[in-house]
Amino acid sequence: MRYGFAIDQNTCIGCHACTVACKTEHEVPVGQYRTWVKYVEQGEFPATTRDFGVMRCNHCTDAPCVTICPTQALFKRDDGIVDFDNERCIGCKACMQGCPYDAIYIDADTNTAAKCNFCAHRVDEGLEPACVVVCPTHSIWVGDLDDPESGIAKLVNQNPTQVRAPEQNTGPNVFYLGADRAVLDPTAAPTGDSYLWARPDEHRRDVSRDLPTDPVTKARTTLNTAHPRPWGWRVTTYLWTKAVGAGAMFLAALAHLLGIDLDVVGDIVAPALGVAGIGITGALLVWDLKRPERFLYILLKPNPRSWMFWGAIVLAAGAALFTAWLALGVLETTGVLTADPAYDWLAVPALVAAAMTAGYTGFLFGQAEGRDLWQSPLLFWHLIVQAVMVGAGALALAAIGTGLGAGATTLLLAALTLGTLGHLLMVLFEFLGRHTSKQAAMAAHMVTHGRYARLFWTGGIGLAALAAAIAGLGWATASLLIAAVAGLLVQAALLIYESVFVRAGQDVPLS
Amino acid sequence: MSVEPDLPGSRRHEHLRNFPPVSAWDHHVEYDAKAHPRKVPRSYMLIPTTCFNCESACGLLAYVDKDDLSVKKLEGNPAHPGSRGRNCAKGPATVNQLDDPERILYPLRRTGERGAGQWERVSWDDALNDIAGRIATAISEGRHEDVMYHVGRPGEDGFTERVLNTWGVDGHNTHTNICSAGARLGMSMWTGFDRPSADHANAKVILLLSSHLETGHYFNPHAQRIMEGKQSGAKLVVLDPRMSNTAAHADAWLAPWPGSEAAILLAVASYLLRTRRIDEPFLRRWLNWQTYLAELHPDAPQDFDTFLDRITADYAEFTFEFAADEAQVPVERIAEIAEIVADCDGRLSAHIWRAAAAGNLGGWQVARALWFVLALTGSIGGRGGTSPNGWHKFIPQGPNMPSHHEHWNELIWPREYPLATNELSFLLPHFLKEGRGKLDVYFSRVYNPIWTNPDGFTWIETLTDPDKIGLHVALTPTWSETAEFADYVLPMGHSSERHDTHSYETHAGKWLGFRQPVQRVAMDKLGEDYTDTRDANPGEVWEENEFWFELSWRIDPDGALGITKHFESPYRSGEKMTTDDYYRWMFEHSVPGLPEKAAEQGMTPLEYMRRYGVVEVDTDIYRVDERALTDDELADTTVDPNGVVRKPVTLDSVAPVFGEAGAVGVRHDDGDVTFGWPTPSRKLEVFSTAMRDWGQGEHATPGYIRSHVARSEIDLDAGELVLVPTFRLPTLIHTRSGNAKYLNEISNTHPVWLNSTDAARHGVRTDDLVRISTEIGYFVARVWVTEGIRPGVCALSHHMGRWRLHPGEGSRWVSGMVELSHPDGEHTWLLRHKGGVAPFDSSDPDSSRIDWTDPGVHQNLAFAVHPDPHSGMHCWLQKIRMEPARPEDRYGDVYVDTRRSAEVYREWLAKTTPALGPGGQRRPEFMMRPLAPTRRGYRTTETPE
Repeated sequence: MRYGFAIDQNTCIGCHACTVACKTEHEVPVGQYRTWVKYVEQGEFPATTRDFGVMRCNHCTDAPCVTICPTQALFKRDDGIVDFDNERCIGCKACMQGCPYDAIYIDADTNTAAKCNFCAHRVDEGLEPACVVVCPTHSIWVGDLDDPESGIAKLVNQNPTQVRAPEQNTGPNVFYLGADRAVLDPTAAPTGDSYLWARPDEHRRDVSRDLPTDPVTKARTTLNTAHPRPWGWRVTTYLWTKAVGAGAMFLAALAHLLGIDLDVVGDIVAPALGVAGIGITGALLVWDLKRPERFLYILLKPNPRSWMFWGAIVLAAGAALFTAWLALGVLETTGVLTADPAYDWLAVPALVAAAMTAGYTGFLFGQAEGRDLWQSPLLFWHLIVQAVMVGAGALALAAIGTGLGAGATTLLLAALTLGTLGHLLMVLFEFLGRHTSKQAAMAAHMVTHGRYARLFWTGGIGLAALAAAIAGLGWATASLLIAAVAGLLVQAALLIYESVFVRAGQDVPLS
Repeated sequence: MSVEPDLPGSRRHEHLRNFPPVSAWDHHVEYDAKAHPRKVPRSYMLIPTTCFNCESACGLLAYVDKDDLSVKKLEGNPAHPGSRGRNCAKGPATVNQLDDPERILYPLRRTGERGAGQWERVSWDDALNDIAGRIATAISEGRHEDVMYHVGRPGEDGFTERVLNTWGVDGHNTHTNICSAGARLGMSMWTGFDRPSADHANAKVILLLSSHLETGHYFNPHAQRIMEGKQSGAKLVVLDPRMSNTAAHADAWLAPWPGSEAAILLAVASYLLRTRRIDEPFLRRWLNWQTYLAELHPDAPQDFDTFLDRITADYAEFTFEFAADEAQVPVERIAEIAEIVADCDGRLSAHIWRAAAAGNLGGWQVARALWFVLALTGSIGGRGGTSPNGWHKFIPQGPNMPSHHEHWNELIWPREYPLATNELSFLLPHFLKEGRGKLDVYFSRVYNPIWTNPDGFTWIETLTDPDKIGLHVALTPTWSETAEFADYVLPMGHSSERHDTHSYETHAGKWLGFRQPVQRVAMDKLGEDYTDTRDANPGEVWEENEFWFELSWRIDPDGALGITKHFESPYRSGEKMTTDDYYRWMFEHSVPGLPEKAAEQGMTPLEYMRRYGVVEVDTDIYRVDERALTDDELADTTVDPNGVVRKPVTLDSVAPVFGEAGAVGVRHDDGDVTFGWPTPSRKLEVFSTAMRDWGQGEHATPGYIRSHVARSEIDLDAGELVLVPTFRLPTLIHTRSGNAKYLNEISNTHPVWLNSTDAARHGVRTDDLVRISTEIGYFVARVWVTEGIRPGVCALSHHMGRWRLHPGEGSRWVSGMVELSHPDGEHTWLLRHKGGVAPFDSSDPDSSRIDWTDPGVHQNLAFAVHPDPHSGMHCWLQKIRMEPARPEDRYGDVYVDTRRSAEVYREWLAKTTPALGPGGQRRPEFMMRPLAPTRRGYRTTETPE
C-alpha cells in the first residue's frame, strides 16, 4: 500500500481551490500553507508562457523528515502517508531542514510542525483529501501507487511523469504530469521584485538576486509562498559555544594522554569551558525549540534514527564527563586528592566525548537532506578542527600568566596555529572545490561570490588567516601573549563563518 | 428508506469517495482534523446551499456541527449538475466570510451627516416601519418611480421583480451596463437571447474572448468543461491583450490591440464566406437572408445563392491584412485562427461576456461578429457548439403572482438608449444631477456603486444630497464604500444564511439550485424552534426574502393597496407567507419533474430540495429552435407574412422573458413550423430590423466600429497607453470577497502590468510609482514590468483599492483608511491613504498575522462614464497618459474633477440619437427587459418623430 498523488499540470488552471480547501479543512493559520500553487513565466512577448505547479509534501518513501525528527512526531504510516502527531512535536524545526520540498512549517497556533498529511483523518473514513474533492478540473489524483489497477497507477505508468528533486533520493510519491521543468526545479526560475498579485517576501527577493536567470527562457517565478529560514542566530551561536567547550576539553584530554601537564588550564579552565559550553549550548537549543517545555521529549519519546536524539545523548555524556573532569580538577587543586589515576580512566572517554560533541552536528546536518551545502562528508572532521581552533584559542587566552610549562605552551600554540590553518584549508576546499549538487554549488556561490561574499572573505577567511599568521608567530616566539590575540580573533572568525554557513545553507529555495 | 441516488458529482478513486453518502448527510461523523492522529469524532449535518461569491451559483455542502450549529466548513455539492461537487477557491473560503470578526451583525441607522461615520443600533421593527411608511406614501401619491431597488447581481430570477410588480414600481436597477450589456446587445440582435451557452465539453474548437479558466460567468463549471473538451482534443483559441491563466492554456493565444476583436472576427467570417467553408443548409434555413437581400440589395435576385454572393462581397473588405493592422498582430496569426475556426465541423463553442464587449465603444459588435462566425460554421445550438442561455436556464415562479405594472421609469430606461439591453444604472447620479428625477427610497442591495462604478465621486456627491435621494437603505452582509454613505445599513446573510433559487447555463442541461440558510435547516432537523432566519443567523442578520415579505406587508397593512394579498400564504388564507410556503408552492407547482423525483424518494418537493439543494430539470438540450410546436402553442394562431406564428395580443399583454408577446414560432419555406428564435423574424437575424426601426439602420448588420482606444487614437510617443482596468483574478470577486482571509493572503496587491518595451520607453522599472492620468483626473500606482501583456497596453486588476473613511466601516482584512479632501474647490476630490492594511487584534488570531500591506488603488474613481451610444454599456478601457509619479504623489492617490466628469458624460450622451420605434414604442418588445411592463407600458402617447 503506497498512497500518493498525481498532479496533472496539463489541466491545472492555477486557481488555488486546493490551497483554500486545504486551509479550511485544517484551519491553517494565515501565511502558512500545506499546499499551494506556484506560477512560473517564461519567454518574451508574444512567446510568453505561464505554467503552474501544485506544491506539497511528497509523502516520500524514504522521508528525511521522519528520520531526522527526534521525537517520532513525524512518522510513516503503513499506507505510505507521512503523518505527524503535533502532541509529540517539540518544535525543533529539524524536519524543515530535512525536507527537500519546503513542505513543512511551524503552525502559528500550536507552535508545532505541520504539513500535508494526505488528510489522513479523511482517508481513514474512506474520503478523498480535501484538495482532491474541490479541484475544478480533477487535476489531482489520489490512490494506491502499489496497486497496478488503480487509476493513479495507470495514470503514472502510462504517461510521462516527473517528480520534484529526484536527486535527493527520497522516493517522492507526488507525480507530476505535464509540468514544466522550471516549475519543479526551484532554482530554475528566480523571483523578481514583484509577483503578479502578491509580494514576494524579502528573503526570497534577496536570495533570488544570487540565482542565475536562464538566458534563453528567462524563467521567473511570479507567484509562490514564503519559507523563512528555520534556524537563525541561536544555532550559529551554539555551533561556537559547543566548539569552544569541546575543543578545550579535547585538548585537555589529549594533553593528558600525551603526558603533557596543562596544570590549572587543563584541570580547571578546560573542563569549566567544556561544562559552560555544553550548558550554554543546551540552553540555546532549548530556547530555539518552539515548544521548549517539551524538550525532555527528546529523551522520553526518542527516535533512535535521529541525530537530534543522539546529539542530546552526546551532549549529556559530554556534560557528565566534563563535570567529572572539573570535579577532579577542583579536588586536586584544593589538595583534597591526587587525581591522576582517575584522569587515566577519564581521558579517553573525555576525548571521544569532546570529539563527538564538536562533531555530531556533522551527522545531524547530514540528515538535513534539504540543505545540500551541509551535506559534506568532511563536516564531522571540520567541526572537530574548528573546535581545536577555538578551544586552543580560548585556552591560550586563559593560560596567560599561569606560568604554563614549555611543552604545554607549545601544544596550545601548535593546536591553535594548525587548527586555524586546518579550518582555513577545509573551508577553501569546501567552498572552492567541486560541489556534489547544483543546490550546494548555488549556496557556495552565494557565500563566495554573492550576498555573503564580503562577510565571508573579510570576516570568515581574512580574520582566520590573520589569526593563523599571528598564532604562527606566537608559536615561533613561544609567546602566549601574541597567540592570545589570535585566540580572540578565531572566536570572531568562527562565529562569522558559522553565521554564513548556517544562513547560506538555508537560502537556496526548495520550492 | 431513501434510495442512495447517483449524483452527477460523485466520484471514486478506488475505495476513496469524494463525498459521504447522502444517507449519512443527517448524521455524518468525521474525525477532528486538528486532533489527528487522535481519533476525536465530530458529528455534522451536511446541508446543501449555494455559493454567494461569483454568479456561477455553484453548489456548496455546509458541514453544520451538531453540537453548536456552527458551520465548520463548506465543500462542493455533488448533487449539483453544474458544479458537480467541485469549486474554485472562493467556495471553501465562504467559511471565512461567515466567521469574519468584522461583519455587520445588527441593523444600523445613521445619526450624523451622511458619510460622517456616526451610527446607532436600531431595531428591525423601527427600520421596517420607517422604510415601509415612506414607500407607502410614495405609492399612494402616485410617485412610484421615486422608489428604486439597485442590485449588483440579481439575486434570484424574478423574486424582486415579483415584489416590485406587487408595488407597481418600475424600479429595478442593476449593474448590468457596467458588466455585460455590450455582449448582450450583440447577441440579442442575432438571437433574441442575451447570453451564450457554450458546450465546451463536446467542442472541436473553443474560442474564448474571455478568461473562463480563471474567472467569469461561469468560471468553475465552464473551466471543468473547457478542460474536458481540451482533453478530448479540442483546440483552445484565446483572444486577450493580457496573458491570462486561460491564455496560458491556449493552443493559440492572440493578443490583439483592444477594440480590434470585431475586425478579427469579421475577417474570419469573410474568410469562411469566400472559401465557402460554411454550413449552407443551416444558413438557408435559419438566417433571415431574405430581409438582408431585400434591405441591402433590393435590385438583386432574391435567392439564397445571390445572398451568399452578395454577403461575401459585402464583407470582402475585412481582409486578414485589415484585421492584422487593426489588431497590430502579424497577419499570419489571423490566418492561423481563421483556419482553426474553419476546421471546427460545426462544433465551435465560443464565449464573450465582458472583456472586449465591455471595454470598447462599439464593443457590442464583437459579440455580434462572434455570432456571425458561429452562424457561418453552423455551430449554433448543436452538440459542441454554442446555444443561447434561454435553452439551458430554468426560471420558476412563486405563488400569487402579481400582474405586471405599466410604468416606465426613465431614470432607468432613458429615451437616449432604446436598444440598451439593461438599465443605464451608472448614469443615475448624472440623471439626478440633471434634474431628471429624484429618489425617495433607494435600496442598494449587495451593491457598491461608489467603488464599482466609474466616476465614484459623482456618486458620493449624489448619495450625500438629500434632495436627490431621500432615504438610502444598504442591504449588505459586509461594509462597503457605498454603505458608508447610507441612512440604514441592514445586515443580510452570506451564502449559507439565506434562501433563493438559481439556474444558469453552465452546460447543455438545465438545473435549479436552491440556496438555504443551513443553520435554520439544521434547527428544523433538530426540532428547534425559531421565528424566522434571524433566529438562526449570527446577531440579527436576516435574509432578503423574509425582509421583502415583511416590508411589503407593512407597506400595505390593511391590504388597501392590493399588495398584501400577494404575500399571503397559499396554504393558510390570510396569514403572512413564509419562505417555506413560498418555496413549497414553487417546488410543487412550478418545477417540471420535481414532484415525481421527490416522490420516488418518498419526499415532498420541498424536502427533496432541502436534501439535495438542486434538481436537474433536463439534460442534453440542443436545437430547441427546431422543436415542433405543441397543439397548445398552435391553438388560436395565425401566420404573418414573414412566417411568424402568432397568437392574438392586447396592450395589456406582457412579453414573455424572451421574444415578442404572442409570437410562438416560425413557419419555414418547407412548411415546417418550429419554435425558432425569439427575434422579430423568429430567425437568426443577419439583418436586424430592430436596429433599422430604432434609428440605427447603419448598424443593422454585423460590423466594425472603431474603438475609442483603437491604435489610431493612442499616441504612444506622447506617453499614452490603453489601460485595461477590468481583469479579474481567480481568487477574488468584486468587493464581495474582501473579508475572506484565505483569499486575501493569496492575492493582495495589484501592480500595473507593463510590457518591457513600454517600460523602457517610459523609463520605469518594477516597483516604480507612476501617475496615470485619465480624462477627469489621475491615480498613482506601482509598475510591474512583464512579458505577459502586449506593448501599448497596460492593465491594473479589478478587486483592489478598497478604503474606509472611519474605523469600523470597512474590512480591515482588505481596506485602508483614507482621507477625502477638495484641493481645488468642492468639485475636486483627492483620496489619499492614511496607512495601508495592517495586522489587527480580533477574536480571530489570524488578523494579527496579516503580512500584506497594500489596499490597492481605487482606479474606477478616476474613470469618466462612457456609455456606448447603442448598447449603453460603459466602455471600460481607458486612454491614459503615464508618467513617473511627481514628488507630491503618494501611492494610491486618486484625484478627480467632477465638473470634468459631467462634461465627459455630456460628450458621450451627445453620441446618441434618441428614438421611438414603430407605434411610439420605447424599445423593441422582443428584447429581454427585467421587470417588463405590460405592452401598454412600452408605448408613449407621443407619436414617433
